[in-house]
Amino acid sequence: MIRFFEFTGKKFISIVEEFGKVMLLFLSAFLWMFRKPFRFRVIIKQMEFVGADSVSVILITGAFTGMVLALQTYYGFRMFGGESLVGATVTLSMTREIGPVFTALMVTGRAGSAMAAEIGTMRVTEQIDALYTMSVSPIQYLIMPRILAAALMLPILTIISDFIGIVGGYLVGVEFMKINSGIFMSKIIEFVDLADIFNGLIKSACFGLILSLIGCYKGFYTKGGAAGVGKATTQSVVYSSITILISDYFLTAAMF
Amino acid sequence: MAKLSVEAKVGFFVIIGIIILSYMSMKLGKLSFKRDSGYILKVFFDSASGLAEDVPVEIAGVEVGRVQTISLMNGKALVILKINSDTKISKNVKAIIRTKGILGDKYIELVQGTEQAPFMKPGDQILNASPATDIDTLMKVLEEVAININKLTGSFANVMGGEEGEASLRTIFENVKEMVETLNLTVQKNNTNVTQIISNLSDFSKKLKNISDTHSDDIRSIITNIHGASEEIEQLISGINKITTKLNQGKGSLGKLINEEETVNNLNDMLADLKNITEKINSGKGTIGKLIKEDETADRINTTLSGINDYIRKQETFRTYLNYRGEYLFNSGDVKSYLSLRIQPKEDKYYLFNVVDDPRGKDSITDITRTINDSTTTERIVETERDGLKFSAQIAKRYYDIGFRGGLFESTGGIGIDYYFFDDHLMLSMEAFDFDPDRNFHLKFKADYTPFNYIYITSGLDDFISDEGNESFFIGAGINFSDEDIKTILSNIPLPTN
Repeated sequence: MIRFFEFTGKKFISIVEEFGKVMLLFLSAFLWMFRKPFRFRVIIKQMEFVGADSVSVILITGAFTGMVLALQTYYGFRMFGGESLVGATVTLSMTREIGPVFTALMVTGRAGSAMAAEIGTMRVTEQIDALYTMSVSPIQYLIMPRILAAALMLPILTIISDFIGIVGGYLVGVEFMKINSGIFMSKIIEFVDLADIFNGLIKSACFGLILSLIGCYKGFYTKGGAAGVGKATTQSVVYSSITILISDYFLTAAMF
Repeated sequence: MAKLSVEAKVGFFVIIGIIILSYMSMKLGKLSFKRDSGYILKVFFDSASGLAEDVPVEIAGVEVGRVQTISLMNGKALVILKINSDTKISKNVKAIIRTKGILGDKYIELVQGTEQAPFMKPGDQILNASPATDIDTLMKVLEEVAININKLTGSFANVMGGEEGEASLRTIFENVKEMVETLNLTVQKNNTNVTQIISNLSDFSKKLKNISDTHSDDIRSIITNIHGASEEIEQLISGINKITTKLNQGKGSLGKLINEEETVNNLNDMLADLKNITEKINSGKGTIGKLIKEDETADRINTTLSGINDYIRKQETFRTYLNYRGEYLFNSGDVKSYLSLRIQPKEDKYYLFNVVDDPRGKDSITDITRTINDSTTTERIVETERDGLKFSAQIAKRYYDIGFRGGLFESTGGIGIDYYFFDDHLMLSMEAFDFDPDRNFHLKFKADYTPFNYIYITSGLDDFISDEGNESFFIGAGINFSDEDIKTILSNIPLPTN
């Protein structure tokens, strides 16, 4: 009986401990942002990796998500003659929800896992210890650029995903389903607010923070050789995805 | 194809993102500088049920404004409408809450009255307002109707229903039946009597004929008597005729008054004079005529009035701002200060003048080229004046949420772009200046957030592609006063009195 309590308590403490470690890592990364030396080239390198290199993935997922949304909502709305609302529905779902979340999940798979693997490998091959001996802060050199790059690049990826999703929805709705293009556009303009887009972008910046933080954390505290690196990578993807979806609910509840 | 550098790739990516964001916000956003222009009208509704803030106000289906606020006043709903300044609304306008679409979105329709009525002034109240005939009121009316019908059928049932009513109905029917039966019987029984009555009547008429035949002379004398009476009446009428002719000829005082030619002439003259005057006025003779008829006069008054209006409008949109901002540079640990004057003649454009105290100082570069024995040597002297002030003078123009700036930036040529978010509370800007071929140009990115009037906080990256180690994060704050505030402050300063 006591062992059961012990087990629960240990689990709980380890969760709180882990959460505290993540927060401390974030705090120190944040503070290192304002300290010399500023390595802009490192940040830009990460921006390229997280942002520019993810564009092709985002374009494909965004376009097909928008297209399938248009297709599904068209069948739904046709039941009561509301086909003209397809555009507004696709745009609202893309900007408020699907754009930020899908982009974050794709970037988690592509860049978040790579962060964990990269930093994890550096940890097990003692490159991080080498950085310490060269009096270079690994937090400033490795972690801060990744977090900053992800938080800045995710909104841009999201807006591209939003746009290409709406274009995909337009293609399906207007070209294939023969909804009048003028009505399609005017309903979008009527029902969608700028706030919808901006709140989606704020959400995606938070997701970027989360996925890079978890990726870096898992990599930074990797133990146990090559197997440890593999485990850290898997865990970072799983935890990031779960955290993104959970925080999505709370961010949405707080903002809209 | 040459491989793109990392910077170029990221830059291209960021610019694509910004272009898409700008395009979408232009499509969805309202004209930002139009948002504040317009005037306010008040209207009271018995019920503003279903009406929301920011719903459209339409005339003939065209949006001319928005609902600004809805509040309760004296038990009625006070709705404040913001009408576009280019829409004129006449005084006898009628405001109706209407419903759009199957989802029942409410909006306000204004029905213009006659065109002669004067236009509404800002702050006026629309007197003629009718709330929406919503389902509830409709139901209420239907309910009343139903109650009335119910009452009617109820009383009917009272009369007819029940055993008593039934019995009385039955007796009525029985009585009627009996009556018809007896009538039938009577006719059948007295068949002979009836025939007799008819033959009697026939006899009577025959006798009457006989009387008229035998006494035809008497009847004739009666007719002659009547004839004589009518002749006497004729004489009476001719007498009356004589009196009226006398009157006509002007005999007697009454006749004189009516028939005197002079009186009539006088009256005629008077009318002619009046006609003359009105004709003159109509043809524009005389001062009054000129005032009334001359189109030019009216035009002149009109242009004068519109000129005054324009002047006042310009005065209203003209704004001046005085602004101080300080930026703490993390790289060098110094504070960079800006004092600026912003003159804004229109809402979408302004002129900006800056004095900048840069801790890095002001560089003055002198190139000295010497030619000795065909070999030229160039010597460059860079003098940095630590206390030197730099100056900026820029013009800015705004389209929707994007502003463009150009001119002098810290004593060098440059350009800038601003993006406004959240009702202008947040502004992102990118500036590029100091295009020196020998080094990277100066790029500055900043975000200004204005939580309240007057005070704002700022953060950003300064000179972040510098190849001289000048790149730095900065945070800072600033205060911003408009001419209105300055006026208030100045008028509150006590003047020295003797």
